[in-house]
Amino acid sequence: MAQATTAAAEPMVRLERVSKRFGATLAVETASFDLEPGSFLTILGPSGCGKTTLLRMIAGFIRPDGGSIVLNGRPVAADPPWRRSIGMVFQKLALFPHMTAAQNVAYPLKMRGFPRQGMAERVERYLSIVRLGGLGGRRPHELSGGQQQRVAIARALVFEPDLLLLDEPLAALDRKLREDMQLEFRRIQRELGVTTINVTHDQREALVMSDRILVMEGGRIQQAANPVDTYARPANRFVAGFLGVTNFLPGRLASLAEGRAVVEVEGTRLEGLCADPSLAPGAAVAAAVRAERVRIAGTGETAPDESDVEGEVVEVVFEGDRFVYELRMPSLGGIPLRLFDLDPLAHPRHAPGERVTVAWRHRDLMVFPA
Amino acid sequence: MTGSRKAAWIIGAIVAFDLLFLALPTLVVLVASFTPGTIITFPPPGFSLRWYGNLLQARDFADALWRSLQVGLVCTALSLPAGTLAALALARFRLRFATGLQIYLLLPFTIPLVVSGVGLMLVFGRLGWLGAVWPVGVAACVINLPFMIWAVAASVNHLDPDLENAAANCGAPPVHSFFTVTLPAVAPGILTGALIMFILAINEFLVSLMLTDARTVTLPVLVYNAIRSIITPDLAAVSVVYVILAVAAIWLLDRLVGLDIFLKSKQG
Ligand SMILES: Nc1ncnc2c1ncn2[C@@H]1O[C@H](COP(=O)(O)OP(=O)(O)O)[C@@H](O)[C@H]1O
Ligand SMILES: [Mg+2]
Repeated sequence: MAQATTAAAEPMVRLERVSKRFGATLAVETASFDLEPGSFLTILGPSGCGKTTLLRMIAGFIRPDGGSIVLNGRPVAADPPWRRSIGMVFQKLALFPHMTAAQNVAYPLKMRGFPRQGMAERVERYLSIVRLGGLGGRRPHELSGGQQQRVAIARALVFEPDLLLLDEPLAALDRKLREDMQLEFRRIQRELGVTTINVTHDQREALVMSDRILVMEGGRIQQAANPVDTYARPANRFVAGFLGVTNFLPGRLASLAEGRAVVEVEGTRLEGLCADPSLAPGAAVAAAVRAERVRIAGTGETAPDESDVEGEVVEVVFEGDRFVYELRMPSLGGIPLRLFDLDPLAHPRHAPGERVTVAWRHRDLMVFPA
Repeated sequence: MTGSRKAAWIIGAIVAFDLLFLALPTLVVLVASFTPGTIITFPPPGFSLRWYGNLLQARDFADALWRSLQVGLVCTALSLPAGTLAALALARFRLRFATGLQIYLLLPFTIPLVVSGVGLMLVFGRLGWLGAVWPVGVAACVINLPFMIWAVAASVNHLDPDLENAAANCGAPPVHSFFTVTLPAVAPGILTGALIMFILAINEFLVSLMLTDARTVTLPVLVYNAIRSIITPDLAAVSVVYVILAVAAIWLLDRLVGLDIFLKSKQG
């Protein structure tokens, strides 16, 4: 949002071709991105894709093999972690067990040479920002999991760092508390306007919290976009499969013109969209359609901008807000297909064994190189 | 309800029985030390503090006790840095040579004390250390160091491996983070280990037997020598002195760190 008014503003963080190898494992491969001041970026990817390594290089715990990291206009390669203006919330929080909550929060102020004058008030102010007012005298083990999270956040923010790093600190919490804390992180981040990089393997968390999502896989950045674009316009097959429930139909490209593709899957021709102009007819492709974009249609009820295919119900599950159907598609070589009926109370329930026609719009079929 | 009541009863009875058995020898000696007679019997025929009076008079016992305390202090002073750093290093370099190092550190344990004693006697003889009290403390440290390492390691293993990274992230350079975060966080283990080492050292017998002579005899060795001549009730009184020392150590431990670090494998 800030970029419209101050287009020339320096990014708070800039990574250029940062790489790190552990033995034979390329943990992070030429990662580059810019981060606007005040924005919230989430690095999303499966376990082992290099998220923590990337974060630790930014924090200074791991030295990159190559590339440069610029923080607030200053290359930080030569700075040890204790000289970087970065606050971090660790996966297991790493609170100092022998200190009270207030002492934990005061620690960065002492270590960074803040004046003693007003330190206690500042600690108290940050404890109240994270809604822990009055609990400063407790040791970490006398606090609940959610309260410990809040101490860790206050400790990371109290010295007003240029950048806040979060390494899956919510992963260990149960679902309800995790969802509360997601909103809580977002509230504090907005209130203080601190530039934040969050790491998670939880797609929901990424969609809920972020201004921008960076999807990683195998050490490489696959896509960097806002949450809506990441979900609606995945850059490749991996991103399409990692977010949401996605059906992949393996086939060959029949034709491609102006982004409109025709794909042949086991003799059935399907129309879809393809953003990769380099694909030539005959190339192996994966056509992808999300479960919530597929509907069960009465025969002859499909619109001209829709594809329709015959299927057989294998399994149907009622989840309250939806029916989840598992189908088998004889005309697509018998591949399985999952679809969500998001208005279950309005539609009849089709039983296993029943033959149905399913339909989706041409523009909901995304074509990727296989 | 009744089932678990009954189980609790049975468990309670077993625990009481165990406690009694653990404490019985100590209690018997304690009571016997108050005998007015000249031989140790249980129950004693009367009550007197005669043997405690004797003990206070006996210079050799007092000197030996003082030497044992010196041994304990030397041993503790040496094992504090050695055991703490070894345990921290073991945790830090867990990946590489931990197993080998652990086995090496266990060696003093697996080797019979007689063998360690002879070995230390030879080495100390070469170094010209025999005839002084402090080398006995060195020996006690060498043979008991695994206890110190274990006590500290128990504390270290409970720590978040990112604790020092967190300190660095807060702005603490490594030396600062060692003294303000790492050491205080493992302090319970260090204190526990130090007290264990102290108690073990003032009780150490077999190796001390080989390393001491008439001028440097420590209390356990003196007691042993006394038993070999005549068993008089002042030995019971000496035992009570030991019991008091041990209880004092445990009280101190409880005041400083709490005993649950001993009794429970997990803390906080
Ligand atoms: N210190 C290390 N030594 C060797 N390999 C490592 C080390 N740290 C991470 N890796 C490897 O690098 C890859 C990325 O790890 P990581 O950044 O922790 O992934 P993530 O946080 O996304 O789960 C993994 O394959 C992991 O096994
Ligand atoms: Mg990780």
